[in-house]
Amino acid sequence: MSGGPPVLIGHPRPHAAGPLRDVLGRLGVRDVTVVDGGGLAGALAAGAPQMLLLHAGLPGFGPQLMAELRTEAHLRDLPILALGRFPGGRARAELLRSGATDLLARPLTLAELSARLSPHLENRRLDRSLQEVIRSLRNHHSDAVQRMALARDMQLDLLPDATLCRSLERRYGIALDSHFESSSELGGDLWGARPIDDRRFALFLCDFTGHGVAAALNTFRLHALLARSDLPADDPAETLRVLNGLLVGLLPETQFAAMFYAVVDVAADRLVYATAAAPKPLVRRPDGGLDVGPSCGLPLGVAAEARYRNQCLDFPPGSALVLFSDALYEARGWDGRMFGYGGVTDLVRGLEDDAPDRPLRCLLDRYFTAMPRLLADDLTVLWVSRTGRPTPGPD
Amino acid sequence: MDYTVRDNGGVRELELRGQMTFEADAGFREILAEWEKGGVAECVLNLSAVEYMDSAGLGLLVLANNAAKRTGVVFRLKHPRGQVRELIEISEFHTLIPCEF
Repeated sequence: MSGGPPVLIGHPRPHAAGPLRDVLGRLGVRDVTVVDGGGLAGALAAGAPQMLLLHAGLPGFGPQLMAELRTEAHLRDLPILALGRFPGGRARAELLRSGATDLLARPLTLAELSARLSPHLENRRLDRSLQEVIRSLRNHHSDAVQRMALARDMQLDLLPDATLCRSLERRYGIALDSHFESSSELGGDLWGARPIDDRRFALFLCDFTGHGVAAALNTFRLHALLARSDLPADDPAETLRVLNGLLVGLLPETQFAAMFYAVVDVAADRLVYATAAAPKPLVRRPDGGLDVGPSCGLPLGVAAEARYRNQCLDFPPGSALVLFSDALYEARGWDGRMFGYGGVTDLVRGLEDDAPDRPLRCLLDRYFTAMPRLLADDLTVLWVSRTGRPTPGPD
Repeated sequence: MDYTVRDNGGVRELELRGQMTFEADAGFREILAEWEKGGVAECVLNLSAVEYMDSAGLGLLVLANNAAKRTGVVFRLKHPRGQVRELIEISEFHTLIPCEF
Protein backbone atom coordinates (compact mmCIF):
# COMPACT_ATOMS: atom_id res chain seq x y z
CA MET A 1 0.00 0.00 0.00
CA SER A 2 2.79 2.34 -0.97
CA GLY A 3 1.86 5.99 -0.48
CA GLY A 4 -1.39 4.71 0.95
CA PRO A 5 -3.92 6.45 3.13
CA PRO A 6 -2.84 8.12 6.35
CA VAL A 7 -3.59 6.24 9.52
CA LEU A 8 -4.41 8.08 12.72
CA ILE A 9 -3.51 6.41 16.02
CA GLY A 10 -5.04 7.57 19.27
CA HIS A 11 -2.67 6.44 22.02
CA PRO A 12 -2.40 7.47 25.69
CA ARG A 13 1.43 7.53 25.31
CA PRO A 14 2.24 8.50 21.74
CA HIS A 15 5.95 7.83 22.22
CA ALA A 16 5.07 4.16 22.94
CA ALA A 17 3.34 3.69 19.58
CA GLY A 18 6.61 2.83 17.82
CA PRO A 19 5.84 -0.90 17.35
CA LEU A 20 2.46 0.00 15.85
CA ARG A 21 4.15 2.40 13.42
CA ASP A 22 6.63 -0.33 12.46
CA VAL A 23 3.89 -2.84 11.73
CA LEU A 24 2.00 -0.30 9.62
CA GLY A 25 5.22 0.67 7.84
CA ARG A 26 5.84 -2.96 6.90
CA LEU A 27 2.31 -3.03 5.49
CA GLY A 28 3.22 -0.05 3.29
CA VAL A 29 1.63 2.71 5.37
CA ARG A 30 4.18 5.47 5.77
CA ASP A 31 1.88 8.33 6.68
CA VAL A 32 0.95 7.65 10.31
CA THR A 33 -0.06 10.31 12.80
CA VAL A 34 -0.15 9.54 16.51
CA VAL A 35 -2.09 11.75 18.92
CA ASP A 36 -3.00 11.49 22.57
CA GLY A 37 -6.46 11.91 24.01
CA GLY A 38 -6.23 15.68 23.90
CA GLY A 39 -5.25 15.78 20.26
CA LEU A 40 -7.77 13.29 18.92
CA ALA A 41 -10.70 15.66 18.37
CA GLY A 42 -8.54 18.24 16.60
CA ALA A 43 -6.93 15.64 14.32
CA LEU A 44 -10.33 14.21 13.32
CA ALA A 45 -11.81 17.66 12.79
CA ALA A 46 -9.03 18.40 10.28
CA GLY A 47 -10.30 15.56 8.09
CA ALA A 48 -11.08 11.88 8.12
CA PRO A 49 -8.08 9.56 8.02
CA GLN A 50 -8.26 6.35 6.06
CA MET A 51 -8.17 4.34 9.27
CA LEU A 52 -8.38 5.13 12.97
CA LEU A 53 -6.63 2.96 15.56
CA LEU A 54 -7.74 3.68 19.12
CA HIS A 55 -5.83 2.40 22.11
CA ALA A 56 -8.20 1.28 24.85
CA GLY A 57 -6.11 3.17 27.39
CA LEU A 58 -7.04 6.50 25.80
CA PRO A 59 -8.88 8.77 28.25
CA GLY A 60 -12.61 8.61 27.49
CA PHE A 61 -12.29 5.41 25.45
CA GLY A 62 -15.47 3.35 25.39
CA PRO A 63 -18.80 2.84 23.64
CA GLN A 64 -19.80 6.45 24.12
CA LEU A 65 -16.70 7.72 22.28
CA MET A 66 -17.40 5.24 19.47
CA ALA A 67 -20.98 6.39 19.18
CA GLU A 68 -19.97 10.07 19.17
CA LEU A 69 -17.43 9.48 16.42
CA ARG A 70 -20.06 7.75 14.28
CA THR A 71 -22.40 10.72 14.51
CA GLU A 72 -19.88 12.74 12.48
CA ALA A 73 -20.85 12.43 8.83
CA HIS A 74 -17.25 12.34 7.59
CA LEU A 75 -16.39 9.51 10.00
CA ARG A 76 -19.42 7.32 9.28
CA ASP A 77 -17.64 4.89 6.97
CA LEU A 78 -14.21 5.15 8.60
CA PRO A 79 -12.70 1.85 9.79
CA ILE A 80 -12.19 2.28 13.56
CA LEU A 81 -10.10 -0.43 15.20
CA ALA A 82 -9.80 -0.67 18.96
CA LEU A 83 -6.61 -2.08 20.46
CA GLY A 84 -6.47 -3.27 24.05
CA ARG A 85 -7.64 -5.81 26.55
CA PHE A 86 -11.35 -6.44 26.42
CA PRO A 87 -12.04 -8.95 29.17
CA GLY A 88 -15.82 -9.22 29.01
CA GLY A 89 -17.83 -10.46 26.04
CA ARG A 90 -20.57 -7.94 26.83
CA ALA A 91 -18.06 -5.03 26.73
CA ARG A 92 -16.69 -6.26 23.42
CA ALA A 93 -20.16 -6.53 21.94
CA GLU A 94 -21.06 -3.08 23.23
CA LEU A 95 -18.00 -1.54 21.58
CA LEU A 96 -18.83 -3.19 18.27
CA ARG A 97 -22.48 -2.11 18.47
CA SER A 98 -21.40 1.46 19.22
CA GLY A 99 -19.33 1.76 16.11
CA ALA A 100 -16.01 -0.08 16.39
CA THR A 101 -15.21 -1.84 13.15
CA ASP A 102 -13.06 -4.49 14.82
CA LEU A 103 -11.35 -5.21 18.13
CA LEU A 104 -7.66 -6.10 18.23
CA ALA A 105 -7.59 -7.85 21.59
CA ARG A 106 -4.37 -8.23 23.47
CA PRO A 107 -2.32 -10.28 24.03
CA LEU A 108 -1.28 -9.99 20.41
CA THR A 109 2.11 -10.59 18.74
CA LEU A 110 3.29 -8.08 16.18
CA ALA A 111 2.87 -10.73 13.49
CA GLU A 112 -0.73 -11.29 14.55
CA LEU A 113 -1.31 -7.54 14.67
CA SER A 114 0.03 -7.25 11.14
CA ALA A 115 -2.23 -10.07 9.95
CA ARG A 116 -5.27 -8.42 11.58
CA LEU A 117 -4.54 -4.95 10.17
CA SER A 118 -3.74 -6.11 6.67
CA PRO A 119 -7.30 -7.05 5.54
CA HIS A 120 -8.70 -3.80 6.98
CA LEU A 121 -6.17 -1.75 5.03
CA GLU A 122 -6.82 -3.79 1.90
CA ASN A 123 -10.61 -3.43 2.28
CA ARG A 124 -10.21 0.29 2.70
CA ARG A 125 -8.02 0.50 -0.38
CA LEU A 126 -10.52 -1.52 -2.43
CA ASP A 127 -13.40 0.53 -1.08
CA ARG A 128 -11.67 3.74 -2.08
CA SER A 129 -10.90 2.33 -5.53
CA LEU A 130 -14.52 1.30 -5.92
CA GLN A 131 -15.73 4.74 -4.84
CA GLU A 132 -13.35 6.29 -7.34
CA VAL A 133 -14.66 4.04 -10.12
CA ILE A 134 -18.26 4.86 -9.21
CA ARG A 135 -17.51 8.58 -9.14
CA SER A 136 -15.73 8.33 -12.48
CA LEU A 137 -18.62 6.35 -14.01
CA ARG A 138 -21.13 8.88 -12.68
CA ASN A 139 -19.16 11.73 -14.23
CA HIS A 140 -18.80 9.82 -17.47
CA HIS A 141 -22.51 9.04 -17.55
CA SER A 142 -23.44 12.62 -16.80
CA ASP A 143 -21.15 13.87 -19.59
CA ALA A 144 -22.50 11.25 -21.99
CA VAL A 145 -26.10 12.23 -21.23
CA GLN A 146 -25.28 15.88 -21.91
CA ARG A 147 -23.49 15.05 -25.15
CA MET A 148 -26.36 12.82 -26.25
CA ALA A 149 -28.90 15.54 -25.48
CA LEU A 150 -26.92 17.97 -27.61
CA ALA A 151 -26.61 15.42 -30.43
CA ARG A 152 -30.33 14.70 -30.22
CA ASP A 153 -31.14 18.41 -30.53
CA MET A 154 -28.88 18.54 -33.56
CA GLN A 155 -30.69 15.56 -35.08
CA LEU A 156 -34.11 17.09 -34.46
CA ASP A 157 -32.83 20.24 -36.18
CA LEU A 158 -32.43 18.17 -39.36
CA LEU A 159 -36.20 17.74 -39.54
CA PRO A 160 -38.56 20.34 -41.02
CA ASP A 161 -39.58 22.79 -38.32
CA ALA A 162 -43.11 24.03 -37.67
CA THR A 163 -42.54 27.20 -39.70
CA LEU A 164 -41.56 25.24 -42.80
CA CYS A 165 -44.47 22.81 -42.35
CA ARG A 166 -47.06 25.60 -42.01
CA SER A 167 -45.54 27.36 -45.00
CA LEU A 168 -45.85 24.19 -47.10
CA GLU A 169 -49.41 23.70 -45.87
CA ARG A 170 -50.46 27.18 -47.01
CA ARG A 171 -48.60 27.04 -50.27
CA TYR A 172 -49.84 23.64 -51.41
CA GLY A 173 -53.18 23.31 -49.62
CA ILE A 174 -52.13 20.39 -47.44
CA ALA A 175 -52.06 19.41 -43.79
CA LEU A 176 -48.70 17.90 -42.88
CA ASP A 177 -48.33 15.99 -39.63
CA SER A 178 -45.34 13.99 -38.50
CA HIS A 179 -44.23 11.74 -35.69
CA PHE A 180 -40.54 11.07 -35.06
CA GLU A 181 -39.56 8.75 -32.23
CA SER A 182 -36.15 7.21 -31.72
CA SER A 183 -35.78 3.91 -29.92
CA SER A 184 -32.76 5.38 -28.11
CA GLU A 185 -31.36 8.90 -27.73
CA LEU A 186 -30.43 9.03 -31.39
CA GLY A 187 -32.11 7.38 -34.34
CA GLY A 188 -31.55 6.34 -37.92
CA ASP A 189 -34.66 7.91 -39.44
CA LEU A 190 -34.84 11.16 -41.35
CA TRP A 191 -37.68 12.84 -43.18
CA GLY A 192 -37.98 16.10 -45.03
CA ALA A 193 -40.08 18.21 -47.34
CA ARG A 194 -39.14 21.08 -49.59
CA PRO A 195 -40.82 23.19 -52.25
CA ILE A 196 -39.91 22.64 -55.90
CA ASP A 197 -42.23 25.19 -57.54
CA ASP A 198 -45.74 26.58 -56.97
CA ARG A 199 -47.46 23.29 -57.71
CA ARG A 200 -44.91 20.69 -56.61
CA PHE A 201 -43.05 19.84 -53.47
CA ALA A 202 -40.73 16.98 -52.61
CA LEU A 203 -41.25 14.71 -49.63
CA PHE A 204 -38.96 11.96 -48.39
CA LEU A 205 -38.58 9.48 -45.56
CA CYS A 206 -35.38 7.56 -45.00
CA ASP A 207 -34.55 4.79 -42.56
CA PHE A 208 -30.95 3.64 -42.09
CA THR A 209 -30.21 0.12 -40.90
CA GLY A 210 -29.93 -0.19 -37.16
CA HIS A 211 -30.43 2.60 -34.70
CA GLY A 212 -28.41 4.57 -32.19
CA VAL A 213 -25.31 6.60 -32.84
CA ALA A 214 -24.04 4.87 -36.01
CA ALA A 215 -27.42 5.11 -37.74
CA ALA A 216 -27.78 8.73 -36.60
CA LEU A 217 -24.41 9.65 -38.11
CA ASN A 218 -25.69 8.30 -41.42
CA THR A 219 -28.75 10.58 -41.25
CA PHE A 220 -26.37 13.55 -41.01
CA ARG A 221 -24.53 12.24 -44.06
CA LEU A 222 -27.74 11.96 -46.01
CA HIS A 223 -28.94 15.37 -44.90
CA ALA A 224 -25.73 16.90 -46.22
CA LEU A 225 -26.07 15.03 -49.52
CA LEU A 226 -29.67 16.15 -49.94
CA ALA A 227 -28.55 19.77 -49.64
CA ARG A 228 -26.55 19.43 -52.85
CA SER A 229 -27.99 21.65 -55.52
CA ASP A 230 -27.17 19.24 -58.35
CA LEU A 231 -29.71 16.61 -57.29
CA PRO A 232 -32.50 16.08 -59.82
CA ALA A 233 -34.99 16.86 -57.05
CA ASP A 234 -38.08 16.73 -59.29
CA ASP A 235 -37.35 13.18 -60.52
CA PRO A 236 -37.66 10.70 -57.64
CA ALA A 237 -36.02 7.73 -59.39
CA GLU A 238 -33.10 9.82 -60.54
CA THR A 239 -32.76 11.39 -57.09
CA LEU A 240 -32.49 7.94 -55.53
CA ARG A 241 -30.03 6.81 -58.18
CA VAL A 242 -27.75 9.79 -57.55
CA LEU A 243 -28.04 9.46 -53.76
CA ASN A 244 -27.27 5.76 -54.01
CA GLY A 245 -24.18 6.49 -56.07
CA LEU A 246 -23.00 8.94 -53.41
CA LEU A 247 -23.70 6.57 -50.51
CA VAL A 248 -22.09 3.46 -52.02
CA GLY A 249 -18.56 3.42 -50.70
CA LEU A 250 -19.47 5.95 -48.02
CA LEU A 251 -21.42 3.51 -45.87
CA PRO A 252 -19.87 0.48 -44.15
CA GLU A 253 -20.59 -2.96 -45.61
CA THR A 254 -23.73 -3.85 -43.67
CA GLN A 255 -25.24 -0.36 -43.44
CA PHE A 256 -27.68 1.00 -45.97
CA ALA A 257 -30.87 2.97 -46.17
CA ALA A 258 -34.48 2.37 -47.10
CA MET A 259 -35.88 5.52 -48.67
CA PHE A 260 -39.11 6.86 -50.09
CA TYR A 261 -38.90 9.99 -52.22
CA ALA A 262 -41.95 11.62 -53.78
CA VAL A 263 -42.79 14.67 -55.83
CA VAL A 264 -46.31 15.74 -54.98
CA ASP A 265 -48.02 17.71 -57.74
CA VAL A 266 -51.11 19.43 -56.35
CA ALA A 267 -52.06 20.85 -59.76
CA ALA A 268 -52.03 17.42 -61.39
CA ASP A 269 -53.58 15.77 -58.28
CA ARG A 270 -50.97 13.04 -58.18
CA LEU A 271 -47.69 12.06 -56.70
CA VAL A 272 -44.75 10.49 -58.43
CA TYR A 273 -42.46 8.51 -56.19
CA ALA A 274 -39.64 6.02 -56.10
CA THR A 275 -38.61 3.67 -53.34
CA ALA A 276 -35.40 2.03 -52.23
CA ALA A 277 -36.54 -0.90 -50.08
CA ALA A 278 -39.03 1.40 -48.35
CA PRO A 279 -42.43 0.31 -47.00
CA LYS A 280 -45.29 0.59 -49.47
CA PRO A 281 -46.97 4.01 -49.26
CA LEU A 282 -50.67 4.29 -48.48
CA VAL A 283 -53.11 6.77 -50.01
CA ARG A 284 -56.52 7.09 -48.42
CA ARG A 285 -58.93 8.19 -51.12
CA PRO A 286 -61.68 10.78 -50.53
CA ASP A 287 -64.23 7.94 -50.60
CA GLY A 288 -62.39 6.23 -47.71
CA GLY A 289 -60.84 3.51 -49.90
CA LEU A 290 -57.18 2.72 -49.57
CA ASP A 291 -54.56 2.52 -52.31
CA VAL A 292 -51.38 0.63 -51.49
CA GLY A 293 -48.61 1.87 -53.73
CA PRO A 294 -46.07 -0.59 -55.07
CA SER A 295 -42.55 -0.54 -53.67
CA CYS A 296 -39.41 -2.12 -55.04
CA GLY A 297 -35.80 -1.11 -55.29
CA LEU A 298 -32.47 -1.95 -53.71
CA PRO A 299 -31.67 -0.09 -50.50
CA LEU A 300 -29.39 2.92 -50.92
CA GLY A 301 -25.72 2.21 -50.43
CA VAL A 302 -25.65 -1.47 -51.41
CA ALA A 303 -24.89 -1.60 -55.14
CA ALA A 304 -23.50 1.17 -57.34
CA GLU A 305 -25.41 -0.07 -60.36
CA ALA A 306 -28.83 0.09 -58.66
CA ARG A 307 -31.60 1.74 -60.67
CA TYR A 308 -34.96 2.93 -59.41
CA ARG A 309 -38.40 3.28 -60.96
CA ASN A 310 -40.93 6.07 -60.73
CA GLN A 311 -44.42 5.06 -59.65
CA CYS A 312 -47.53 7.21 -59.76
CA LEU A 313 -50.50 7.49 -57.42
CA ASP A 314 -53.61 9.67 -57.71
CA PHE A 315 -53.65 12.24 -54.94
CA PRO A 316 -56.75 14.41 -55.33
CA PRO A 317 -58.07 16.91 -52.77
CA GLY A 318 -59.59 15.05 -49.82
CA SER A 319 -57.10 12.23 -50.00
CA ALA A 320 -54.23 11.55 -47.61
CA LEU A 321 -50.77 10.08 -48.06
CA VAL A 322 -49.49 7.97 -45.15
CA LEU A 323 -45.78 7.13 -44.97
CA PHE A 324 -43.97 5.29 -42.21
CA SER A 325 -40.76 3.51 -41.34
CA ASP A 326 -40.89 -0.27 -40.98
CA ALA A 327 -40.89 -0.02 -37.17
CA LEU A 328 -44.62 0.72 -37.39
CA TYR A 329 -45.50 -2.75 -38.63
CA GLU A 330 -42.48 -4.76 -37.48
CA ALA A 331 -43.04 -3.82 -33.82
CA ARG A 332 -44.37 -6.60 -31.63
CA GLY A 333 -47.34 -6.30 -29.34
CA TRP A 334 -47.65 -7.42 -25.74
CA ASP A 335 -48.38 -10.93 -26.99
CA GLY A 336 -45.14 -11.01 -29.03
CA ARG A 337 -46.95 -10.92 -32.36
CA MET A 338 -45.86 -8.50 -35.04
CA PHE A 339 -48.27 -5.64 -35.75
CA GLY A 340 -47.89 -6.33 -39.48
CA TYR A 341 -48.52 -4.25 -42.57
CA GLY A 342 -52.13 -5.45 -42.54
CA GLY A 343 -52.43 -4.00 -39.06
CA VAL A 344 -51.37 -0.61 -40.41
CA THR A 345 -53.87 -0.67 -43.29
CA ASP A 346 -56.63 -1.68 -40.84
CA LEU A 347 -55.61 1.17 -38.56
CA VAL A 348 -55.73 3.74 -41.37
CA ARG A 349 -59.06 2.37 -42.67
CA GLY A 350 -60.46 2.46 -39.15
CA LEU A 351 -59.94 6.21 -38.96
CA GLU A 352 -62.33 6.95 -41.81
CA ASP A 353 -65.49 6.99 -39.68
CA ASP A 354 -64.37 9.65 -37.27
CA ALA A 355 -61.25 11.05 -38.88
CA PRO A 356 -60.37 14.28 -37.14
CA ASP A 357 -58.68 17.19 -38.91
CA ARG A 358 -55.28 15.94 -37.76
CA PRO A 359 -55.71 12.16 -37.78
CA LEU A 360 -52.09 11.20 -37.05
CA ARG A 361 -52.45 11.72 -33.31
CA CYS A 362 -55.59 9.61 -33.33
CA LEU A 363 -53.80 6.89 -35.31
CA LEU A 364 -50.87 6.80 -32.88
CA ASP A 365 -53.13 6.84 -29.82
CA ARG A 366 -54.87 3.75 -31.15
CA TYR A 367 -51.60 2.16 -32.16
CA PHE A 368 -50.02 2.56 -28.74
CA THR A 369 -53.02 1.16 -26.94
CA ALA A 370 -52.17 -2.14 -28.63
CA MET A 371 -48.38 -1.80 -28.70
CA PRO A 372 -45.73 -1.34 -26.00
CA ARG A 373 -44.49 2.23 -25.93
CA LEU A 374 -40.82 1.25 -25.91
CA LEU A 375 -40.09 0.48 -29.53
CA ALA A 376 -37.16 -1.65 -30.63
CA ASP A 377 -36.60 0.49 -33.73
CA ASP A 378 -36.92 4.13 -34.72
CA LEU A 379 -40.39 5.18 -35.81
CA THR A 380 -41.36 7.93 -38.22
CA VAL A 381 -44.89 8.42 -39.49
CA LEU A 382 -46.01 11.14 -41.91
CA TRP A 383 -49.59 12.01 -42.70
CA VAL A 384 -50.16 14.45 -45.57
CA SER A 385 -53.78 15.37 -46.27
CA ARG A 386 -54.86 17.39 -49.26
CA THR A 387 -57.18 19.87 -47.67
CA GLY A 388 -58.00 21.75 -50.87
CA ARG A 389 -56.47 23.97 -53.45
CA PRO A 390 -53.45 25.96 -52.44
CA THR A 391 -53.92 29.37 -50.90
CA PRO A 392 -52.24 32.04 -53.03
CA GLY A 393 -49.82 34.00 -50.89
CA PRO A 394 -46.39 35.49 -50.64
CA ASP A 395 -44.80 32.04 -50.02
CA MET B 1 -31.27 -18.26 -35.30
CA ASP B 2 -29.89 -21.76 -35.77
CA TYR B 3 -29.06 -23.72 -38.87
CA THR B 4 -28.40 -27.11 -40.36
CA VAL B 5 -25.57 -27.76 -42.79
CA ARG B 6 -25.87 -30.29 -45.60
CA ASP B 7 -22.89 -30.88 -47.86
CA ASN B 8 -23.40 -32.53 -51.18
CA GLY B 9 -20.18 -32.62 -53.17
CA GLY B 10 -18.99 -29.04 -53.37
CA VAL B 11 -22.49 -27.69 -52.74
CA ARG B 12 -23.32 -26.66 -49.20
CA GLU B 13 -26.94 -26.04 -48.26
CA LEU B 14 -27.58 -24.08 -45.11
CA GLU B 15 -31.07 -24.29 -43.75
CA LEU B 16 -31.62 -21.33 -41.44
CA ARG B 17 -34.32 -21.28 -38.80
CA GLY B 18 -35.82 -18.58 -36.63
CA GLN B 19 -35.17 -14.88 -37.02
CA MET B 20 -32.52 -13.14 -39.07
CA THR B 21 -31.90 -9.96 -37.11
CA PHE B 22 -28.95 -8.23 -35.50
CA GLU B 23 -28.83 -11.06 -32.94
CA ALA B 24 -27.96 -13.51 -35.73
CA ASP B 25 -24.77 -11.60 -36.56
CA ALA B 26 -22.30 -13.78 -34.63
CA GLY B 27 -23.76 -17.06 -35.89
CA PHE B 28 -23.81 -15.80 -39.43
CA ARG B 29 -20.19 -14.72 -39.31
CA GLU B 30 -19.30 -18.25 -38.16
CA ILE B 31 -20.91 -19.55 -41.33
CA LEU B 32 -18.92 -17.14 -43.48
CA ALA B 33 -15.67 -18.00 -41.66
CA GLU B 34 -16.15 -21.57 -42.92
CA TRP B 35 -16.09 -20.30 -46.49
CA GLU B 36 -12.72 -18.71 -45.93
CA LYS B 37 -11.32 -22.16 -45.04
CA GLY B 38 -12.15 -23.39 -48.53
CA GLY B 39 -13.80 -26.57 -49.76
CA VAL B 40 -17.12 -24.87 -50.46
CA ALA B 41 -17.67 -24.12 -54.13
CA GLU B 42 -21.34 -23.27 -53.92
CA CYS B 43 -23.59 -22.29 -51.02
CA VAL B 44 -27.37 -22.25 -50.98
CA LEU B 45 -29.11 -20.40 -48.19
CA ASN B 46 -32.44 -22.10 -47.61
CA LEU B 47 -34.69 -19.48 -46.02
CA SER B 48 -37.90 -21.51 -45.91
CA ALA B 49 -37.77 -21.82 -42.11
CA VAL B 50 -36.78 -18.20 -41.44
CA GLU B 51 -39.90 -16.63 -40.00
CA TYR B 52 -38.69 -13.04 -39.76
CA MET B 53 -35.95 -10.90 -41.23
CA ASP B 54 -35.30 -7.19 -40.67
CA SER B 55 -32.93 -4.73 -42.31
CA ALA B 56 -30.06 -6.03 -40.16
CA GLY B 57 -30.83 -9.47 -41.64
CA LEU B 58 -30.57 -7.96 -45.11
CA GLY B 59 -27.21 -6.59 -43.99
CA LEU B 60 -26.09 -10.15 -43.25
CA LEU B 61 -27.07 -11.16 -46.77
CA VAL B 62 -24.93 -8.30 -48.12
CA LEU B 63 -22.08 -9.52 -45.93
CA ALA B 64 -22.50 -13.07 -47.26
CA ASN B 65 -22.70 -11.89 -50.85
CA ASN B 66 -19.50 -9.89 -50.51
CA ALA B 67 -17.77 -12.81 -48.76
CA ALA B 68 -18.90 -15.11 -51.59
CA LYS B 69 -17.40 -12.79 -54.20
CA ARG B 70 -14.18 -12.57 -52.22
CA THR B 71 -13.80 -16.32 -51.74
CA GLY B 72 -15.14 -17.40 -55.13
CA VAL B 73 -18.17 -19.16 -53.66
CA VAL B 74 -21.31 -19.28 -55.80
CA PHE B 75 -24.00 -17.96 -53.48
CA ARG B 76 -27.76 -18.07 -53.85
CA LEU B 77 -30.96 -17.93 -51.84
CA LYS B 78 -33.81 -20.37 -51.81
CA HIS B 79 -37.47 -20.42 -50.78
CA PRO B 80 -38.05 -17.29 -48.72
CA ARG B 81 -41.54 -17.32 -47.23
CA GLY B 82 -44.04 -14.80 -45.93
CA GLN B 83 -42.54 -11.63 -44.52
CA VAL B 84 -39.02 -12.70 -45.56
CA ARG B 85 -40.09 -13.11 -49.18
CA GLU B 86 -41.88 -9.79 -49.14
CA LEU B 87 -38.83 -8.03 -47.70
CA ILE B 88 -36.56 -9.57 -50.34
CA GLU B 89 -38.94 -8.53 -53.10
CA ILE B 90 -39.44 -4.97 -51.83
CA SER B 91 -35.71 -4.51 -51.41
CA GLU B 92 -35.01 -6.33 -54.70
CA PHE B 93 -32.33 -8.46 -53.13
CA HIS B 94 -33.10 -11.13 -55.70
CA THR B 95 -31.48 -8.81 -58.26
CA LEU B 96 -28.34 -8.79 -56.13
CA ILE B 97 -28.26 -12.44 -55.09
CA PRO B 98 -29.88 -15.15 -57.25
CA CYS B 99 -33.00 -16.36 -55.47
CA GLU B 100 -35.22 -19.33 -56.17
CA PHE B 101 -38.70 -18.37 -54.97
